[in-house]
Amino acid sequence: MAELLSVKDFVVTYKTQWGNVRALDEVSLSIEKNKLVCVVGESGCGKSTVALSIIGLLPQGASVADGGSINYKGVDLSSLDEKKRREYRGTEIAMIFQEPLTSLNPVYRVGDQIAEAILIRMAREKGKGAELQTEVMKNSYDSRSLRRPSRLKLRSSMPSELKDEVVRALKLVRMPDPEQVPERYPFELSGGMRQRIMIAMALAEKPALLIADEPTTALDVTTQAQVLKLMRGLITEVDASILLITHDLAVASQVADRVIVMYAGDIVEDASALDLFSEPLHPYTQGLLACIPSGFKDESQLKPIPGRLPDNRNPPEGCKFVTRCPYAMDICHKKRPRLLESRPNHRVECFLYGE
Amino acid sequence: MASEDQDVLRVEDLRKYFVIGGGLNPFSKKEKFLRAVDGVSIRVPARRTTAIVGESGSGKTTLARAVTLLDAPTSGRIFFLGKEIRKWNAKPRELYRNMQMVFQDPDSSLDPRSKVKDSIAEPLRSLIGGDRKSTYNTVLKSLEEVGLPEEYADRFPTSLSGGEKQRVAIARAIATHPKLVILDEPTSALDASVQAQILKLLLDLQTQYSLSYMFITHNIAVATYFSDTIAVMYAGNVVEYGQTKSVMTKPRHPYTVALVSSAPLPNPRIRNLLNVEIVGEVPSAIDPPSGCKFHPRCPYAEKICTDADPPLEEIAPGHFVACHFVDKTA
Repeated sequence: MAELLSVKDFVVTYKTQWGNVRALDEVSLSIEKNKLVCVVGESGCGKSTVALSIIGLLPQGASVADGGSINYKGVDLSSLDEKKRREYRGTEIAMIFQEPLTSLNPVYRVGDQIAEAILIRMAREKGKGAELQTEVMKNSYDSRSLRRPSRLKLRSSMPSELKDEVVRALKLVRMPDPEQVPERYPFELSGGMRQRIMIAMALAEKPALLIADEPTTALDVTTQAQVLKLMRGLITEVDASILLITHDLAVASQVADRVIVMYAGDIVEDASALDLFSEPLHPYTQGLLACIPSGFKDESQLKPIPGRLPDNRNPPEGCKFVTRCPYAMDICHKKRPRLLESRPNHRVECFLYGE
Repeated sequence: MASEDQDVLRVEDLRKYFVIGGGLNPFSKKEKFLRAVDGVSIRVPARRTTAIVGESGSGKTTLARAVTLLDAPTSGRIFFLGKEIRKWNAKPRELYRNMQMVFQDPDSSLDPRSKVKDSIAEPLRSLIGGDRKSTYNTVLKSLEEVGLPEEYADRFPTSLSGGEKQRVAIARAIATHPKLVILDEPTSALDASVQAQILKLLLDLQTQYSLSYMFITHNIAVATYFSDTIAVMYAGNVVEYGQTKSVMTKPRHPYTVALVSSAPLPNPRIRNLLNVEIVGEVPSAIDPPSGCKFHPRCPYAEKICTDADPPLEEIAPGHFVACHFVDKTA
């Protein structure tokens, strides 16, 4: 399969008032075309930092060490300056976040917000016809001028082609009532509908890679099921890859082609969903699976992982999981294991499977 | 089946309405009610766990707050340890010695400026009394019970992890040796591995202290694992109620069926999530649909569902369902 994006030896350090924290410790991963890859891990493992590194939105105070690279369609994104990088955001790589209410602008109608994404995509698309069309639309409808109070006039002047595009974007995410919804404000919509708007906005730019950071964590289970089902279907429908960040292994097992498990800034295991769940290799993955309650309490035992996460400011010398690992050996205390392909297409960072 | 006097808590037809609207105009006719809990009857047998599951807005937390009299119920009766309790005649010292609560977010339920020992000692001082030494000993014992070292007594909540804070909240709840502990989403803010630790701790404490739990959660897998009886709530009503095993192995209300199939299984070979049929979302509690509140989302809905709210009926011993067409899910 064709590779869309690959991250190599990426190191990110956050400067905090208590010292430097290594959020990503030589992380390498790749995303293939038309696949759904899940990054799974507990809070603080660096899964969101992976997402922010790829889209280039790391917060202030984060520093990227030399030697790492993010290769997207033959270009090293991490070497680009901010202006160049910006051209990739949206139309090449788009991102949706956990809480749609904080990512949507509360004072704009959702239709205007989706239209803005469509205009950006049109402006970037090559071809004279498209440019001309964008110019015409921009003259009659400029989302930036929405800041002025004459909103009523502006809304009525939204060109009908643009309006059709907005409705089409909403239909793509199976929005009920797609003709009326563009007129609403975010607060008038439910959580599931808001997340659909976010997905519609991201897809309106026709990205090749969609990054979703915990998109269903704030949603109810029946809504979560609907949104995940939608995202899974989109891969073939809009020809995109999806990188899904989640803390929930069960969610990953349901939708992912490939699952990457992270622990304390490291990728500890990387395998196809079928392999990872039928034969988890890393003791941490095994422990996480044993933490998921299944069945009834008189039939099965919960086996919590003892201990707590290591301090990322000064992690243990050897394997970061060593203090909690039931199989810890001498070498685990002394040497950091490397992420190796110990089974076909199944990488694991553990000395149990050879050096 | 446990007989009625063995129930620690029995709730009959409890309602909690909130008045909304009307604005500042006292003559406004626009006053409306938000029916957060709309006629709920449940029981918590002694030394057992009753789980209340439902999605946000289903009324589970309002039910907990009404049962603990933190918010006075609008109507209905609550029997605790065989006696009816009401807001106006409750003796708080007596009541809360036997009924304690653990909340979802320990950051907001623990005082950031109190040391751990002071937080745990608070209910002991106000509900039981006794001298400083015996209080302090009980604090240390509670800390030990929840698996925290003694030196944590002098620390502040900010220096603890999420799981440790929740342990402190549990230590505070069990310090007075209550009969009933109401757990409102106690593990929802925690990571998977910490959640497993806390659930195991709660199960151990239950046997050790003969506790009864009312366990509120939105997580079906956790509720199934943790509880003995389960009540499924939807828009303020209990739609299905019974032994956890019979409800979860053979759910009969169309909503329970949807809820169970929406809960992701950790198995990529059974992709239940991608076959989910349910559409729409939980209705507003201010203008709920007529008749059965689930009918706009229900695959079996017919005319009668829009006209009449189905009562909770016993379909098998101890298994209650509120649905006009319960035969269709058989």
